[in-house]
Amino acid sequence: MTGAANTQLLNLACGLFLLTAVGVLGRRELSALIGLLTVQGVALTGIAVLLAAEQRSGEVAAVAVGVGILKAAVLPWLLRRILHRVPEARETAPLVNVSASLLAAAALTLLAYAAARPLVALAPSPAARAAPVGIAVLLIGFFLAATRRRAISQIIGVLLIDNGIAAVAFLATGGVPLVVELGVSADLGLAVLVLQVLTTRLQAAFGDTDLDDLRELHD
Amino acid sequence: MNRVAVALCAALALAGLGASAGLVLPARWRSAAVGAATVAAGVAGAVAGAAAVSGTGWQVRVAGLLPLAGVTLAVDALAGWFLLLVGGVAAVVGVYTVGYTGRTGRGPAARGALALLPLFVAAMLLVPVAGSVSTFLLAWELMAVTSLLLVLSEHRHSPAVRTAGLWYAAMTQAGFVVILLGLAWLAAAVGGESFAAVRAGAAELSPLVSSGVFLLCMAGFASKAGAVPLHPWLPRAHAEAPSHVSALMSAAMVKLGVYGIVRVAFDLLGGGPRWWWLLLGAVGAVSALYGILQAAVATDLKRLLAFSTSENIGLILLGLAAAGLLAAAGQLAGAGAALAAAFLHTANHAGFKALLFCGAGSVLHATGTRDLDQLGGLSRRMPVTTGLVTVGALGAAALPPGNGFVSEWLLLQALLHQVPAGGTVLTIAAPVAVAVVALTAGVGVATFVKALGTGFLARPRSAAAAAAIESPPTMLAGMGLAAAVCTGLAVVPTVAAPALDRIATGLRVESAPLHGSGIDLRLAGIASSISPLWIAVGVVGIAVGFAAVARAAGRPRRRARAWDCGDGPLTARMEYTATSFAEPLQRVFEDVLAPEQDVDVTHSAESAYLVRAVEYRRRLPDRVESRLYRPVIVAADAVGRAACRLATGSVHRYLAYMLTALVAVLVAGVLR
Repeated sequence: MTGAANTQLLNLACGLFLLTAVGVLGRRELSALIGLLTVQGVALTGIAVLLAAEQRSGEVAAVAVGVGILKAAVLPWLLRRILHRVPEARETAPLVNVSASLLAAAALTLLAYAAARPLVALAPSPAARAAPVGIAVLLIGFFLAATRRRAISQIIGVLLIDNGIAAVAFLATGGVPLVVELGVSADLGLAVLVLQVLTTRLQAAFGDTDLDDLRELHD
Repeated sequence: MNRVAVALCAALALAGLGASAGLVLPARWRSAAVGAATVAAGVAGAVAGAAAVSGTGWQVRVAGLLPLAGVTLAVDALAGWFLLLVGGVAAVVGVYTVGYTGRTGRGPAARGALALLPLFVAAMLLVPVAGSVSTFLLAWELMAVTSLLLVLSEHRHSPAVRTAGLWYAAMTQAGFVVILLGLAWLAAAVGGESFAAVRAGAAELSPLVSSGVFLLCMAGFASKAGAVPLHPWLPRAHAEAPSHVSALMSAAMVKLGVYGIVRVAFDLLGGGPRWWWLLLGAVGAVSALYGILQAAVATDLKRLLAFSTSENIGLILLGLAAAGLLAAAGQLAGAGAALAAAFLHTANHAGFKALLFCGAGSVLHATGTRDLDQLGGLSRRMPVTTGLVTVGALGAAALPPGNGFVSEWLLLQALLHQVPAGGTVLTIAAPVAVAVVALTAGVGVATFVKALGTGFLARPRSAAAAAAIESPPTMLAGMGLAAAVCTGLAVVPTVAAPALDRIATGLRVESAPLHGSGIDLRLAGIASSISPLWIAVGVVGIAVGFAAVARAAGRPRRRARAWDCGDGPLTARMEYTATSFAEPLQRVFEDVLAPEQDVDVTHSAESAYLVRAVEYRRRLPDRVESRLYRPVIVAADAVGRAACRLATGSVHRYLAYMLTALVAVLVAGVLR
């Protein structure tokens, strides 16, 4: 595979990565959100695989495999399990409506590109040029978590944030060490499990999973 | 290999060993093992200090121990003096701890509380040997945290302990922050963080930077030293901590605040303009006066000792200020004498305050109370403790032949013999300082007469005091060691002369401020000398002589009833209490102390002229605290309550805060 084709593919994967994040903001059906997240996991895996191919590094390839299993298979499966237990299909009343959310996503993406300029300037390789995509996804994930009511949306927001961080790590540094990725993944898996328990409890206590019911959490 | 290095490493290793012993051993052996390890670590630290003050220096940089900066240690004579002091106090307190904490395994003898004790000692040994800003800050914080946890070791005992811990935590952390700011600013301004680099670059600092650094560091170190008005943590923490911890804190830890001031102002910044020293002197004078006045009217024995710590720190700061001022005026002989007085007083205060806090601990151990109004008559039940406490009280009252006398005499000499050519400011400041020292000494005598007289002499005022029992031998041994050190310092202070010479030379003040033949103490360039040994021999000789003459005169002993107005036998209710003894002083200084008094007279039902009962209540709130700290606390509380409205409990709101903060930072980065 030539360098130019590799760069093209990398840009394609990054584009898909960002597009899925924006898509998550645009859809309300929770099952669709999970589908989009799966696609995003695949895109992230693609980025990792392309980097591994470019560097011919076994360790990055191993990380890519791990990321693929976790983000494209395990986490979506866990989410679907939660969705199965909590019969809520739609995000009915987000705090910010869908069209405003999409505008905000555009603004956040612009901000990410503007803020990442010094980062790109450090090592202007094709991969580093794509790093702002990760920051944009991180911000979009944050926005999602802050504006959606359903617990599952919030979990997806957290996962978007993590995907964004992972993408920045891959693109800016050309692959993270296996140990770091293992630690982060274990952490993430645990967070999702905890959120799963929380969601089921919420459902049992209130009949839905609107996090605004949890108002007692202050001193 | 270097003696200092060996001894210091041994001290740290022994402290680590003691801490692990405290964690793993069963309650039966815990106190003894930890006490022994503390003694060993203290002795090793003192050996390192002794080697350092006799001229052996040591420097090492371990790059890998801390990220980025590494650990730098540098031992000079100044560090050696404080190593010796901390090590000595730790050795004494270690012996005392064995008996004081006992075998119960609870409170101060709990696993954690005992394991922390050697760590606290190790942290205090690390502070003076730190050779770079980052190492110093690390050791300082370690010392603050371990001491805070030790203060809290009896937190189940009373809510006052928790309040004390809160005050101490808040003030020590605030102090740490200002020291951090000051030292970081200094390191940034000279472009290097090792003390050697700072020393080399200090001459080129702008006056703004050096004065800013001085003010920040002085605030932080003075609050650790317990100088007024940064003292409110001190009477609380010293009173509520277990007594062996109070002894360590008061005798050793607060001295490291003094060390910080000396290290930064004299050594790193290399002296400064006159107003620095006038400010330091003003803080010292206020601390000395306010501290001793509060001590004079205190009825809680440990609170009294704590305020007396403020007083002594005030005197030490006064000595340092005089040294700086005289050095700035070019009077190096006087500066050397003032510096020697300050340093000697750090050692003297460490000696007698360790002894007195241990004594207070013994009283608490025997009677369960620290209230002087409830004590009395302990000299019969606890004769050894009483004798040892007398030695300490003599030192604290600065009466000959006590050890406090020598250093206060030195301080007065340095202030009295300044040359009038030193300028108007000096000509006015020196007599004022002399007056402050004299008044402090006078009130100090009254304070310790009260403490000893109402606490230990006369008749017991409560059942608990009447049933007191003498302390176990290890406690007595610890106090005995401290008393021996006090006596040594009182009788032959000239042993410290070579060490003080090296310190003064290191601080570029004057070489050989003191010299003597081993008995006489003479000051360089000042025409006065003193012979503490002969004074001690004279005082003891006169006392023994009087007793002998009285016995030899051969008047037969006659037992008679003391005059009691014919109202039956004298009872403990008729004695002077601590409150009543201090009442005249309280009356004289009423404007300063502002006591809150209540007198309730209940009349008989039959006639308004007949009084059935009189009730007297007196409270002496710390005025500095109520005027200076209350408004700050109230304002902080109001801000906290207002901020509560930001935290409604909505997860979305919290997430939105985070997102906003993140976006704001990014936008700021873009716009920059």
